[in-house]
Amino acid sequence: MTRQDLLPGLALVAAIALPLVAPGYLVDVGMLVFFLAFIGQSWNISGGFAGQTSFGHAVFFGTGAYTSTILQITFGWNPWLAWPAAMLAGAIVGWIIAVLSFRAGLRGSYFALITLAFAEAFRILANSLPFTHGGLGMLIKADPRPANFQFRDPIWFYYLALGLCIVSLLIAWQLTRGRFGARLVAVRENEDAARALGIDVFAEKVKALSLSGAIAAAGGTFYAQKYLYIDPNIAFGVDKSIEMLLVTMVGGAGTIFGPLLGAFALTGINEATRALASVVPALKNVQPLSLIVYGVMLILIVGRLPDGLTVLFRRIRRHA
Amino acid sequence: MTQQRLLPVSRRAFLAGGTALASGVLASPAILRAEPAAVKVGLIHPVTGFVAYNGQQSRLGATMAIDDLNKAGGIKSMGGARLDPLLGDSQSKVEVGVSEVEKMNEQGVAAYIGCFQSPVGIAASQAAAKYNTPFLIDVGASDLLVTRGLKNVFRLKPGFGVCVDQGMAALDALNKGANSMAKSAVIVHESGEFGTGTSKLLSSKLPSIGIQVKEVISHDNPTRNFDNIALRIRSLAPDLVMMSNYQNEYVLLARTLYQQKVNLAGFYSFLGGGFNYKFVKEMPDVSQYMMDTNHWFNPKSEKAQALKKRVEATKALFTYELYLSYSVVMLLADALEHAASADKEKLLAALSASTFKAELMPYGPTKFVNGQNQGGRAATLQSLKGDIEVIAPAEFASAKAVFPRPKFT
Repeated sequence: MTRQDLLPGLALVAAIALPLVAPGYLVDVGMLVFFLAFIGQSWNISGGFAGQTSFGHAVFFGTGAYTSTILQITFGWNPWLAWPAAMLAGAIVGWIIAVLSFRAGLRGSYFALITLAFAEAFRILANSLPFTHGGLGMLIKADPRPANFQFRDPIWFYYLALGLCIVSLLIAWQLTRGRFGARLVAVRENEDAARALGIDVFAEKVKALSLSGAIAAAGGTFYAQKYLYIDPNIAFGVDKSIEMLLVTMVGGAGTIFGPLLGAFALTGINEATRALASVVPALKNVQPLSLIVYGVMLILIVGRLPDGLTVLFRRIRRHA
Repeated sequence: MTQQRLLPVSRRAFLAGGTALASGVLASPAILRAEPAAVKVGLIHPVTGFVAYNGQQSRLGATMAIDDLNKAGGIKSMGGARLDPLLGDSQSKVEVGVSEVEKMNEQGVAAYIGCFQSPVGIAASQAAAKYNTPFLIDVGASDLLVTRGLKNVFRLKPGFGVCVDQGMAALDALNKGANSMAKSAVIVHESGEFGTGTSKLLSSKLPSIGIQVKEVISHDNPTRNFDNIALRIRSLAPDLVMMSNYQNEYVLLARTLYQQKVNLAGFYSFLGGGFNYKFVKEMPDVSQYMMDTNHWFNPKSEKAQALKKRVEATKALFTYELYLSYSVVMLLADALEHAASADKEKLLAALSASTFKAELMPYGPTKFVNGQNQGGRAATLQSLKGDIEVIAPAEFASAKAVFPRPKFT
């Protein structure tokens, strides 16, 4: 076992220990990193491993958030029970979008655009339908009890996000080792060649998007329970789709740790630049400073490391 | 033999003076230690993002108020404790707003003020409730903010329910004064919580004053073209167009309707995000005769007029975000004076029992019921000759309303 192989284990120990030593703010930031990594991994499965780039993954995120919230508020379900139901709803939406799109032969940018259209359609529906409360959004009553999927101490949301992130990493790890993952990579690299090898390309893509939808939907429920309020823009807004895509692209699409590295880097840059703008007296009123720095960093990362931050780790390993 | 004095003072006087000086020097660290700790106030606004201008105005108002308070000697009952603003940017995102709450809590914040957008305010005040920290809403229209049973949330300004009721009464009076000539309306609102909530109330209440709603049109944020909506309004030919949206969309829709010369008896908005000095000064022709029921300062208040002059001297505009945030800081300072402590329990009790007089606003004495001030009220405004005049309530009115508006020729 090399020193590099020990890195994930050490990182896990550090992540578990963080809330015991770090202030609450850093715990919250850590929670955001793991949460972003989790929903980013959902994009990574379909976009990174299977090569089906989506611009509208918020459709799954929002489906999860709304399904569990409606089941909870309107039908009185316990949110823990509503969670798997939300994942199922996300998987079903993924299956429907995949079947409709791939039956029509949509690939590449056409598929990306159709997912964007679905997310927008769902947002407009959520804005219009009475059972989603339209633009008023849905407020989950604060009742901080673990049985209610609400915690008085934010540390538990941190550990939950960490757990979700680990599960998503295990799924990605399994994809790099199992037959399903190998078939997805084959589809990504060359659909015609994969078909010639006897792979049912359509079925594999449908499975990938359904799995991806279920994971993103789980993230939606987590979000709703953490912040206790959702509305159509929060749940189905294009910025959520971009966040999922961005963390994966910055970290490294089609890799196990890509979304986690991307989430770590982007959240870190965002928090650091915001802190800078509010602490340094000369920068206090330079409002968009954080966004400017964030944008520049993004350009540098994407420009210098087009395969993502994971490349850095590979280089280090090669030189070690 | 006479003793020659080396010093121009006696030995006794020298010793007394020296002792006094020495004790003064020795005691000075104690004096420094006695200086009261600053009270940290968390200001969370969207200073970047699609409502950045509004957030920046709120921040400006709050920081001006804090500067004024500190210059005036701080919180007297706390030995002149200064207010120390902690600046937070929600970036128009719920999770970032909550993250700011957590960060400021670590820094020992005594109270939060924010957040302009209701969804951010809902989540951020919920997060502050975990620490039992007071959360004062400066701007945030949704009534959900104060109907969740949270004991730490206080809103000085009225919510959209009250604003709609007051605006409706003012509109009814105007219409009756014009022989009830306005009989129909089209409502255009942004699709978020604020616009949808306001439009629902309007749709249900307008028929009670004899105005039928021909159509309710919702639009997204941001929307960059209102041509189709303007054409639809023209085809429906309503007497009134009623708008409830944020700054950019408000201005763009008004400009499009003006460019297409859509003839109406009146534009009447509720909490129109763009009805402010910026709009009226930059587009006097477009804004002429438009009306809005909104948060507004008391034009007869000398303090409000003085603050307006100061703000305008810095080339900034005296918008509602600015003076609402200013007023909320003053409310917090008043509560701190009464509590004589930044202890959260004491501060919450002082806020709950507050009878603060918001001198800049046309409000009655403050009285919080479930965190909502019952003394708050909106004003009905009209753009006239490149300025904004109050046309209702009558006791604060600075001009007489022009209704119906002259037709396009």
